[in-house]
Amino acid sequence: MTLEYSFDQLMTEQDYQEPVIAGGVRCHGGYIDGAYVPPRSKVRGPAVAAWQARLRGEALPLIHIPSVYVPPNYPNYAQAKFLLQEGIREPVTRALTLIAIIEGFGARIRDLPLPDLTNEVVQDIGGTALAHLGGGLFEAHARDEAGHRDQGGHKQMWEAARDIGLDKPKIPGDVLMRLMSGGGPRGDVQRLFPRLSAHMEGMITALATVLVVETFAEDTFDWAQKLLGDPEVSVDAERARHLVSCIAADEAPHVDYLTVALSELRGRTLQSADGKYQVQGAEVVDAIFARQLRGMATRRPAEQRERMRGDIHTVIADEMKATRIARQFEALDSGWRFPHEDDEQLQVLLKTA
Amino acid sequence: MSAHESAVVVPSASELPAPDKDALRLAHLPERAYRSVMIGTIALRVWLRYKSPQWWDKLLRRDANARDMDAIHQRNADQIFALAVNLRGMLVKMCQIIGTRSDVFPPQYVHTLAKCQDRLPPRTFDVVRTVVEAELGKPLGEIFSEFAELPVAAASLAQVHKARLISGEEVAVKVQYPDIDHIIRTDLSASRRVAQIYARFDKNPMDFLPLLDELQRHLAMELDFRREVASADRVRAAFADDATMIIPRFHPQFCTQRVIVMEFVTGTKVNDKAALTAAGIHVPSLMTGLMRLFNRMILANGFFHADPHPGNILVNPGPDGHAVFTLLDFGLAKALPEGFGMGLFELMFSMMTFNESAMLRAFRELGFETKSGDEQTLLVIARRMISRSDTGSFQGEFTEEMTDEMFEGIRENPVVKVPIDFVLVARAFSLLSGIAHTLGSRANALDAMGPGG
Repeated sequence: MTLEYSFDQLMTEQDYQEPVIAGGVRCHGGYIDGAYVPPRSKVRGPAVAAWQARLRGEALPLIHIPSVYVPPNYPNYAQAKFLLQEGIREPVTRALTLIAIIEGFGARIRDLPLPDLTNEVVQDIGGTALAHLGGGLFEAHARDEAGHRDQGGHKQMWEAARDIGLDKPKIPGDVLMRLMSGGGPRGDVQRLFPRLSAHMEGMITALATVLVVETFAEDTFDWAQKLLGDPEVSVDAERARHLVSCIAADEAPHVDYLTVALSELRGRTLQSADGKYQVQGAEVVDAIFARQLRGMATRRPAEQRERMRGDIHTVIADEMKATRIARQFEALDSGWRFPHEDDEQLQVLLKTA
Repeated sequence: MSAHESAVVVPSASELPAPDKDALRLAHLPERAYRSVMIGTIALRVWLRYKSPQWWDKLLRRDANARDMDAIHQRNADQIFALAVNLRGMLVKMCQIIGTRSDVFPPQYVHTLAKCQDRLPPRTFDVVRTVVEAELGKPLGEIFSEFAELPVAAASLAQVHKARLISGEEVAVKVQYPDIDHIIRTDLSASRRVAQIYARFDKNPMDFLPLLDELQRHLAMELDFRREVASADRVRAAFADDATMIIPRFHPQFCTQRVIVMEFVTGTKVNDKAALTAAGIHVPSLMTGLMRLFNRMILANGFFHADPHPGNILVNPGPDGHAVFTLLDFGLAKALPEGFGMGLFELMFSMMTFNESAMLRAFRELGFETKSGDEQTLLVIARRMISRSDTGSFQGEFTEEMTDEMFEGIRENPVVKVPIDFVLVARAFSLLSGIAHTLGSRANALDAMGPGG
């Protein structure tokens, strides 16, 4: 079982028979025997599988987020379809555009400062996903999300799916404003393990956050595939749905490598840069992961949902039959109870690798 | 000394005799002649300094392109700067604009003439009093209980005095120089004449007339202070929900075309790291907050303060130690065309991801053009720019070095048409980057884009 890979190996492309062209833009990935195959997967896919197998061999569990904590997309499929059928396109267009931009921002992962892993992890990290984060895994992830050189990534693919499904809708002028809204400077993230290096804690926090985001995105993929794949509201339902399914297929390796890397850290001992303080990786990863999961599964989606609900009702209020539309829109809300912030069950859950 | 103590009887605006235009023209004739001769003389010297080496090289059959022009650029820039300081008025403004046009002028001009942003010697208090009383239609003492005779700042078109209203409120009074209209007309006319003569004599002339047109537009905007008030009000309204930005409030009843009376604000200059720390401001997060404000103005609102030099940004500590910014002087505020923010975001984004096809789309969306239609030129410039970043990749910050490199690329490749909005925005980001570097920080526009900055 090969566990060591070079940067170039992890970037190796499949021998595609046909490229993906979406909305006039050449995108990453391609088709083999008519089936879509994700980009840079020729070696990366087997590599992640090998690191997973190694974890299994060491009897180390994998971090797992139960689906009950995944907030459903808002507005839901029925509500979004209703809005489109009523000719109210702005909320869905804005949502899809924001998804595209946020996906693109995933490329920032390549700039994440890494700690000196060989010094700050007590055990040898040779042959782990952890050791390959800066050696190709982050870069491949970044390229998948934002595109690279002449190939579009998820950002461009989401834009193309939006334009294909909704027939090049007018992009609301406030998209960037919404992205930046939230007001006030971001509070500094409180250090939970100040004796570890800032880069070590920062890296674990970032890995946990991205993993939660990627996992939560699964519901958004389902929502978008149903909505853009619905011929009653989508101009080219089949192509639009297919593009979203390609993006979803690309995201699976991200969840896999992030899960493996964090799980590898759990099974090791971490130490301060000077070696004077040591702590079990499980203690650190679980505490940071639980904090990130709590924030992202409770307060944040609740606030986002309320903000979006207000925005949608503002748009509806401009319509001729505003009262009827608003009533019907609310009637279609499937509702969702956000887990309470101190819910004891909202802990890092593990499953066998 | 308070305004009361120094009050003298000055006729109100309505009592002032109507000016005799012919008499004024005659009275200004010697000054007009003097200014025109000075401008013409310096223009001739500058031109000869470029031309004589060319003639000499031609005579000796030497390669004119091999000549190092830096020293000549510097001597000319120094001389123009000295003339501007001497004559002031429009020339100072012209230097300020040249100081922002790295896409047109060599760095020696840009760096030397940008010094015109600094303080200039003020006008006397009598001049100030005359303008304020004429504009507000009342003696100073009827409006202000105190009026400092020495200004707190003096620039090319106006100076600012600290004062106190009769109601007791401390205010800043911005007063336009009384003869500035006339000076600008004279200088513009002389400069146009010089540019026309130069174009006739030089076989391969640089086209200065668009620059003069731009200058005229800028000056028309800046000379009407009501516009500055409206610009500041517009930005304040757009940021009503944001407690991290303050724009001083105006007293509209005392704001006219030539006078602005506004709330007097204090704070620490944004690039004074030691003073910021002493004031209890969390310096490491300061730039993210500041970039978030400018991102919001430029990328989202489409109307922005285009002159964020350190003198125009004061900082005070917020309740949690995070910075609260006070923006001053909206004389150079600019509305951006629809879609510009998204285009700029896409350009930054594509540069960050090395996505060259997306880069080209963004360049086109922003209004960049190549005469030849060969868009590779734009990519070459983008690559050069990225290569000058600290890391060799674009991570969201337009550093001064990168902006300089981009404009040098544009200058060296005259087929590129650069939209003026882009120039102003790039300059604003570059000024912010300068502030960031002074603070040992980064002015990363992309980092500051996420919710809550």
